[in-house]
Amino acid sequence: MKRIICTVLGLACLNPLFAQEDQFSTVITPAFSPITWERLVDARNEPNNWLMYSGTLDSQRYSLLDQINTDNVDQLEMKWAYQIPVIDRAETVPLVVDGIMFITEAPSNVVAVDARTGREYWRYDHEMPDDLRICCGRNNRGVAILGETLFMSTLDAHLVAIDARTGNLLWDVEVAPYDSGYSKTAAPLIVKDKVVTGIAGGEFGIRGFIDAYDPATGELEWRQYVIPGPGEFGNDTWSDDSWKTGGAATWITGSYDPELNQIYWGTGNPGPDWNGDVRLGDNLYSDSVVALDGDTGELEWYFQFTPHDVHDYDSIQIPILADIEIDGEEVPAMLWANRNGFFYTLDRRNGQFLFGKPFASVTWAEGLDPVTGAPIRVPGMAPTYEGIMVSPPIVGATNWYSPGYSQDTGLFYVTSFDGEQEFFKRDEDYEEGERFTGGGGRYTQPMDAFHSAIRAIDPTTAEIEWEFPIMPRSSAGITTTAGGLVFTGSADGYFFALDAETGRELWNISLGRRVHAAPMTFSIDGEQYVTIASGNVVYTFGLDD
Amino acid sequence: MKVSSIPSLRSKLLATLSAFVIAGAMQLTPHSTAEDAGNLYNTAVDIRMGERYFERQCSRCHGFDATGNDEAGGPNLTGRLRNASTDVGIFNVIRNGVQGTAMLPVAPDVPDATVWQLVAYIDSLRYDPSSVVLDGDADRGASLFTGKGDCTSCHMVNGAGGRMGPDLSRIGEDNTPEDLLIAMTNPHEEVAPRWWTVRVTGPDGEQREGFRMGEDSFALRIMDQDENLWSFRKSQVQNYQRVEASTMPSYEGELSDSELDDLVAYLFSLRREVLSQ
Repeated sequence: MKRIICTVLGLACLNPLFAQEDQFSTVITPAFSPITWERLVDARNEPNNWLMYSGTLDSQRYSLLDQINTDNVDQLEMKWAYQIPVIDRAETVPLVVDGIMFITEAPSNVVAVDARTGREYWRYDHEMPDDLRICCGRNNRGVAILGETLFMSTLDAHLVAIDARTGNLLWDVEVAPYDSGYSKTAAPLIVKDKVVTGIAGGEFGIRGFIDAYDPATGELEWRQYVIPGPGEFGNDTWSDDSWKTGGAATWITGSYDPELNQIYWGTGNPGPDWNGDVRLGDNLYSDSVVALDGDTGELEWYFQFTPHDVHDYDSIQIPILADIEIDGEEVPAMLWANRNGFFYTLDRRNGQFLFGKPFASVTWAEGLDPVTGAPIRVPGMAPTYEGIMVSPPIVGATNWYSPGYSQDTGLFYVTSFDGEQEFFKRDEDYEEGERFTGGGGRYTQPMDAFHSAIRAIDPTTAEIEWEFPIMPRSSAGITTTAGGLVFTGSADGYFFALDAETGRELWNISLGRRVHAAPMTFSIDGEQYVTIASGNVVYTFGLDD
Repeated sequence: MKVSSIPSLRSKLLATLSAFVIAGAMQLTPHSTAEDAGNLYNTAVDIRMGERYFERQCSRCHGFDATGNDEAGGPNLTGRLRNASTDVGIFNVIRNGVQGTAMLPVAPDVPDATVWQLVAYIDSLRYDPSSVVLDGDADRGASLFTGKGDCTSCHMVNGAGGRMGPDLSRIGEDNTPEDLLIAMTNPHEEVAPRWWTVRVTGPDGEQREGFRMGEDSFALRIMDQDENLWSFRKSQVQNYQRVEASTMPSYEGELSDSELDDLVAYLFSLRREVLSQ
């Protein structure tokens, strides 16, 4: 090593002072070893790495790292920043594998950097047509890894496989035709020997599905539509042919339980979003969580949070799987704070509703049926041509941003918004590749007049244990650690840490631009780091050396 | 809203119009940059068609009423536009997008006629100020502004005046005469968060009060009555209170109706020079 440095630095080797190896800030990053399925199953016990979008297959976003903790988090300092060259808003959650970080960028690019310095190894720029059909900006949220291959969704609705050591493209398959309204933004999920991935396009009259691909070839292994076809159970919950254009996009990443061999995935709004007249019925399986067989993709159970939704309350939240004690019995539960304003605890073996309560301002329903969990609707809250005020607003009480769960406190953490909006209905005919939303919404007050908070919910009671108020409206995700911390961000550009037990503010830093992503944490050589995207920059923090 | 609630009638109208749009599109050179004299699609029906298309395709980023969207970052289109000042300019922005931003071009198969209807709708959200006939006299209004009304003690116009209210140098651009009258007679009707008042007791135990220049999740910034700028960390203040009302007095009854008309005429004249269309 010393010889290589001397060759590179030439003259410096003449000076005995510089010949000391420890005088150089040379970073030696280990070549990573391939990521096996067993490593992914056991990802929590490899906390130096962040191996998938939600950290672990149960999506708790709970890290066992505790070097940064409640006692020293106020000493965090910035270690490096990486500037994304394409200006948009970053929603990326990077992966870290043995010291190498993989960051996705707008529109659908990946860069690999040294996780200790932020300096680039390689980049992959995905070529795309310029007439994309995207509802909400040029976003990409992250990659998945298996073996030595990265898998990424692209805005033109392709799935690509990229060599993790070089950035070379291995294969590129069309998941669905982009010009019919399909797109892809979410990180795929590896399940055993398959790449499982969803689809976006719920504002374009698509028919949602979940796919599994062969990681070696990109061949489609199975496809599970989340809107049943003719003759299948649930098809009659769509009037006439409305199932064909019913949306139910699957635009965020799901979770997996290895013991039950079930994949859990949220589904989006039925289409058109705000005009339910043309799709009478419950509209299965929109606004639901579906449980699929981990090998075949067959539907095992579903739970529909919002039947016949007319407010765009996608159930595009990440299913948090946690075993919690209810009435003295340990229950394999699924914890879900929904865009519709209610928090749910479900039994993930069978989708049975255990209990639920509002966790934010809700006016469209007065509560949940204690047996079925179905919403008890307030009459007259459907959008009208003239407009009607409803809470939560279209963006929801929460949305796609990752919630978190701490195994130490047993609390569930979610970014929540107490807003309201006027909802409008419009008549629209479906045209392939065109927006198909049937209305929209309008705020009648300045955003600053509303209230937002990070809320900690006890999943054994659905009660809010504490809240930390922030300015509206955060779209940051949450990560918890064994250091007793909750890391998250805010729309006004802060990155901050709270005490997971009490919600007390422990540390914050202004990063200057909206935090629109979830933090992640990793370590190299025993040094813990925490990374967050803000604006178009990815920042990494650590303790003083 | 202006939309009919009789769906069957609307579909028929739409079908008729679609035929017209297609016929119209065929006569135009596809994707013309439209250097010709202007928008041929500016009837009331075109505007409504443009509005429908806007609600469907554009409102996610630009807001359902085109007033912009903080979430998506789409700008307000009801006032002066950032990237275009003429109909042809607006057409080109819609057709070609704005490079390097989230403003993507419309799909290539969208006919020019539809783009022109969108232009007509966006035009309809604004108006030519010279076409507005007002009762008041702008010159008399200017005298009232600096004299009897004492507006300059709080408001600046073109660099002269006070700091206790919004700068009014371009107030005529984004406000109708009706808006301006309401702002003077009922200033509490709509108060921008920048002009809310915050009372804060700092770590030194002293209470200060001022305009809410900035508030975020962790900090507050105010300007007090002596025009001092203060910044507080919320975690260090003893308490703070927000007053979501205006500090401006109502001029209802303070000025006569004709004086108010004169002030409206003056305020409405405050704008940058409008580029000729």
